[in-house]
This record gives sequence, C-alpha cells and structure tokens, in this order.
Amino acid sequence: MDNAVTTALAVLEKQLNRPLAAALEVCARCGICAESCHYYVADPKLDHVPAQRAEQLRQVYRRQHDFIGKFFPTWVNAEDLDENKLERLAEIAFSECTLCRRCTFNCPMGVDTPLMMRVIRAMATAAGKAPEILVMLADSAIEKGKDPDMFRAMFKEQIAQMEQELRELTGNPEATIPVEKEGARVLYVALAGAHTILPPAIIFNAVKEDWTLSLYEAANYGVFLGDTARAKAIAGRIIEEAKRLKVEEVVVAECGHACASLVWDAPNWFSETFPFKTRSIVELFAEYIEQGRLHLDPTANPEPITYHDSCNLARTSGIYREPRVILNAVAQNFVEMTPHGLENYCCGGGGGLVALPEYDEKRLRAGKPKADQIKKTGARTVAAACENCRLQLGDLNQYYELSVKVTALADLIVKAMRLPEKIAMSVAAE
Amino acid sequence: MNIQFITSIIALVALIFSIVVFASRWQAMQRLPFGKDRSIPKDSAWKGIMYAFTLGMMPWAKESTRIHMLAYLRGIGFHIGIFAGLAALIASPWFENIPFAIRALFAVLTGSGALMGAAGGVMRVAEKNLRGISTRDDHAAVWLVSLWLGAMAFALIAPAFLPAMYVVSAAMLVYAPLGKIRHCIYFYFARLFYGLHIGRRGVASGLIEHSIPSGRRSHAPQFGGVGAASARLEQEAHNG
Amino acid sequence: MSTTITKPDQVLDLKGLLCPMPIVRLSIAVKKAGVGAVLEGIATDPGVMADVPAWARQSGNELVSIKQQGKEYHFLVKKTK
Repeated sequence: MDNAVTTALAVLEKQLNRPLAAALEVCARCGICAESCHYYVADPKLDHVPAQRAEQLRQVYRRQHDFIGKFFPTWVNAEDLDENKLERLAEIAFSECTLCRRCTFNCPMGVDTPLMMRVIRAMATAAGKAPEILVMLADSAIEKGKDPDMFRAMFKEQIAQMEQELRELTGNPEATIPVEKEGARVLYVALAGAHTILPPAIIFNAVKEDWTLSLYEAANYGVFLGDTARAKAIAGRIIEEAKRLKVEEVVVAECGHACASLVWDAPNWFSETFPFKTRSIVELFAEYIEQGRLHLDPTANPEPITYHDSCNLARTSGIYREPRVILNAVAQNFVEMTPHGLENYCCGGGGGLVALPEYDEKRLRAGKPKADQIKKTGARTVAAACENCRLQLGDLNQYYELSVKVTALADLIVKAMRLPEKIAMSVAAE
Repeated sequence: MNIQFITSIIALVALIFSIVVFASRWQAMQRLPFGKDRSIPKDSAWKGIMYAFTLGMMPWAKESTRIHMLAYLRGIGFHIGIFAGLAALIASPWFENIPFAIRALFAVLTGSGALMGAAGGVMRVAEKNLRGISTRDDHAAVWLVSLWLGAMAFALIAPAFLPAMYVVSAAMLVYAPLGKIRHCIYFYFARLFYGLHIGRRGVASGLIEHSIPSGRRSHAPQFGGVGAASARLEQEAHNG
Repeated sequence: MSTTITKPDQVLDLKGLLCPMPIVRLSIAVKKAGVGAVLEGIATDPGVMADVPAWARQSGNELVSIKQQGKEYHFLVKKTK
C-alpha cells in the first residue's frame, strides 16, 4: 500500500466516531434521495444519486470493518482503497457534493452525507489529493496570522479610509468603525473587502450598537478541506480576539460556512464552550427590526425580490425565519422560490466549489435547478446571505442569462434606510 | 423428536446468535467516540429528537417521500410486516392457543409484508438507479426477508408450514446481523443524530410547521415549500 | 520590496472580483507562468493588500511591490520557483 493510501486510511480510522459509523452503516440503498440532490436534478444519472456517492466511501469502510466485506468482498461491493479510488473519492467530495445537507433531510434514515464527504475531504487533504487552490487559500489565511503586527497596521489604515467614506455616506461626522475596542458588546467578523464592512457599519451606527470590527476575516478554507488543524488555526485568532476584548457576542458576516463553522463546529474543535455567544449578522439584523430599532421604508426596494437560502444558514444553522423578517421589512414585493427555506436547493457553489476554477463547468451545470427556480419567481433581484452563494449566483446570472441583480441583505437594509440617493447608489455599487 | 421441534430449536439457536451479534454491534457503537457538543444550542435537542422519530417519518414530511409516496408506503408496509413477523415468531410455540382471528390478522400483516418486500425486490432489478446502487447483499436481504414473511403467513394459518417457517427464520436470523438487514439498529443512531442536529440548531421548529398537512394548517407555509406550487414541481420531478 | 520599476510579462485585470477570487486568479496565472515571470495585478478589493503578501509568503514567490492608487490596488509578483 502506498503512502497516500495509508495516510488516508489512517484518517478514516481516526475520524470513525459514532455519527460517522451510523452514516456508513445505516443506508438501505432505497434511492429515494436522488431528486433531493441538485446535481441529480440538473443531470439525472446514477453517479449523482447521493447514496451512490456515499457508497464509494462505504465500499472502503466495508473492506476494513465488515465481516462479509473482509471475506466475501464482492457480495457487498467492498473495495480496497488504492490511489485511483482515493482520487475518485476526492473528486466526488470536492466537486460533486456541496455538503448542502438536502439529501440528509430527505433521507428516511437521516444519513449524514456532509459528514462522510468531510471525512473524505480530510482523507484527501492528508494524502495530498485535495485541490491545490483550497490548500493555498487556507495556508495564505494562516500565513496572515503569523505576522499580526504588519497586517494590523495595514488593516487599520484601510479601515481609517473606510471610516472616512462611512462619514461621507451617512452624513454623520461621528460615525465610526471601531477596531480592537475592549469591552464592546459585539465583535463583528467581516469578510475581506469593503462590501461586508461598510453596509453593516452604516446599520451598526444607525442603531447605536456598541461594536468593534475584528482584525480577522470570517472565511475559513480549512473547513472546506475537512482539516481541523487548519480550521482551528484560522478560527482560533477570532476566538482569542473575542476573549481578549471581552465581548458579549461574536457576530459573523453574511457568509454561510463561516457562520456554521464558528457557531457549531469551533466549540467542538477547541473542546470548549466559549464565554461569548456566536451568531450570524442576519439574526442580529432581524432582532434590530423586531425591536423597532431600524426605520425602514420597503418602497425603497419596489422591484420583485427573491431570497436564496444558504444551505449553511438554513439547514445547518436554523436561520430561515430571520432573513424573511428582514425581507418583509425592506422589500415591497418579496417573492419566495419554490421550494424554499429548509427545502431550498443549493446554488451549486457551496463547499468551497466556487473557488475552484477547474470545476467551473460542473458547478455551473449543477446550478441549473437554482437558475430555473429564480426564473420562475420573476424576481429582478436575488438576495443571499452568503458570499459563496452570491459569487455562484452572479455566475449563474451570466451563464443562464437571468438578468437579475445579486445582493446581500445588508445592502437592501441600507437602501431601505433611505439614505440620500447618491449614498444609496454608492453602497449598492460596492 | 418431531421435525417441528428440531426446526424450532434451530430457529431458537439462530435467534440467540442474532441477539448476541446485534448486541455486540450495539456495544461496538457505544464504544466509538461521541463527545459532548460544546456549542450553545439555539433550541431544544429533544424537540428535534421527537420530530425525527415521529412527524419526521410521516410520508408527507419530506419532499423525497412525497415524490416517491408509493415506494415509501410499500417500505412502511414491508416493515410493519417485519415487526408483525417477529412478534409471531416469538409467539409461534403457542400458536394453537391463539384465537384464529388474531392469527389471521398477523397472517394478513406478514403476508402483505411479503408481497411488498417482493415488490421491493422486483423494483431493485427493474428501476435503473436502484439496480445501480444495489449490492448482492441488498437483493439477497429483501428476498430472504420476503420469503420469511411469506412462510410466516402460511404458518400462522396452517401449522404444517411451521417447520419450513422455522428453517427460513433461522436463515434470516443468522444473516440479519451480518448483512444489510443490520441497518435496523443503526436506524436509531442515525435518527438520533439527525434529531440532535435539527433540535439544537433550531431547525426542528420549521420542520414541525412544515409537516402539518396543509388541510390542517392554520396559515400558508412561511418557511418551506409544501405548497401547491411545490407539489407541482415535485410532480414534474416525478414525471422526469 | 524593490522600488525599481519592473516591467510585467502579464497583466491580470482583477477589478470587480471579490475575495477569494483575486488570489485564486493570481495563483492560477503564476502556476502557468515560467520561472522568473513578473505578473502585475490590478484589483479593487482592498482585501488584496493583506492577501497578496500572505499568498507570496506561503507560496514562496516574490512580492515586488503592492500599492493603493485611488480605488485600485496594484501589485507586482515574480515567480521564483
């Protein structure tokens, strides 16, 4: 057995816990999961049936762990892991499943497909078979944390420029983007770039939130690799910052995987219940609206607007009510996709796929059910509370000629705040 | 010693084997790591677990079972037959003391379970995707259990079939914990973990709202797609 | 970082791209280029000011220069291996 295969098998053994064993053992191969997968809906073939995809890992598991698989492998289709099989597994887990959890919700057993795909990703990453770009993005993010002083100085300079822009936009000379403010109530973790900093900053200043901006960005490519060590290195800096600043809560930008991993996975990576609450900014915005702290005019967004539920927010994190609280408050004509909410189709860009150009064609074809859903709504604007979804929706917009505008919820809120016209336009253009 | 006694002893030994292997599988699962979840829950774990084992199993609760309603109901009928068959197997030494009406009822349950199992066996061959994902184990399991249910139905009506039923039972009981039939114990684990996920993360409330059939729902579904439009889309998917 | 003027072999228009796409495009272009090639990137996402230096360190390539010009960010990288 070569080194890559041995390494991959060792990872499988190490990660074999009770939920994984249940997912590997329980599938009855009834096949009714087929239509729950957007890959299958786009291209109905056997390889796109979730049970068939997971079966590839089960075959390896059975060869290692099952009595019949060990002695009569053909009876249960058990297979030894070799280099080819490992490469095929990696291809499946990184490019033919976005870990959207739709099949899990549709399975009579509740087979946890994302869990199995994450394990394959971990096996492939350890064996050097993961997509180079994901490894590069994760390692670049880790590299940034190695020289915090240099990045802190650069970051603060950029934020000072953004703060100036914020003051011009709001007409409020006291509007601020605080950084490293000790004792702030909220630590907001944005993504790289102004588009996830300025609109929330406008909203935070409007409601007079006691907030501070994190030095670090929310995106965590270690999660996509299924690599807990890398994911911990990236998330650990935010957790350390939140503890150092003694904040009450950490609020994550409109980004599905960053939110899901920081809220639900990070406490288990570190075996620790953090001394602060962690949630999505979508939940906080909905809270402001329900508390009447934001004055919003839905006529500012008169065109038909639909909402794409990020899988990581809806099915993984239970955030499906809050976006609708926001949309009903900021839009005059909010139309739902069919299906939506917990039954929504993945856009096809999840699981880090949107950052992998080698799989562009696969990704865009798998996005067809989403494109069809959008077309049927007749909406001119598609809102999404996840950066990866927005990138994919932007690509689907071009590929399927949807002629829609893709936007974040924060942008719609800012528009409904009725800032002067030129300001709203400037924010929307970000 | 008559043949019925000998075959019943064989079935008893097989039953003990089955229980011992299933118990060791259960214990092996319990030995695997399952750490305490340190994340702060958004809602009650119990709500999710309750949903996973009750409303969440209803045929209308999931898009997949709405699309494949007949196949799902066939599966339900098959599994009701299996539970009835197990109860009948335990009671088999005392069949002659059980009123015929009750035996007839169990014969109907196991007999229809056998037919539904056989239908499943045929579907596994006839349907392209099912054929593709099936292993030899899958085919063997569904026919073995169907045969067992059929034998049980006959044995419930006519004692002459008891020895044959015991022999088939013994084969099924020995095979059950080794092959695909063993998924029955993992069902409880998988459903529990699914329930924990949807409960703690605040998903279950939306699913509960979802799984109340539209006729009894007080208002239109807000957070899901179980409306008329969704049913249409599902029909399209079903029609291929 | 060098202050001498280096002529790029290739210019990457990364304007309008949001994180992580500028780094993804840069990484692919550098992979395809020959050793010693100099690539210029022009982006509008301020995230590149931190991301490009980190990418250069992580990948072992040379960041020749990086600077903000109005709303644009210009950088030069040299493929060293």
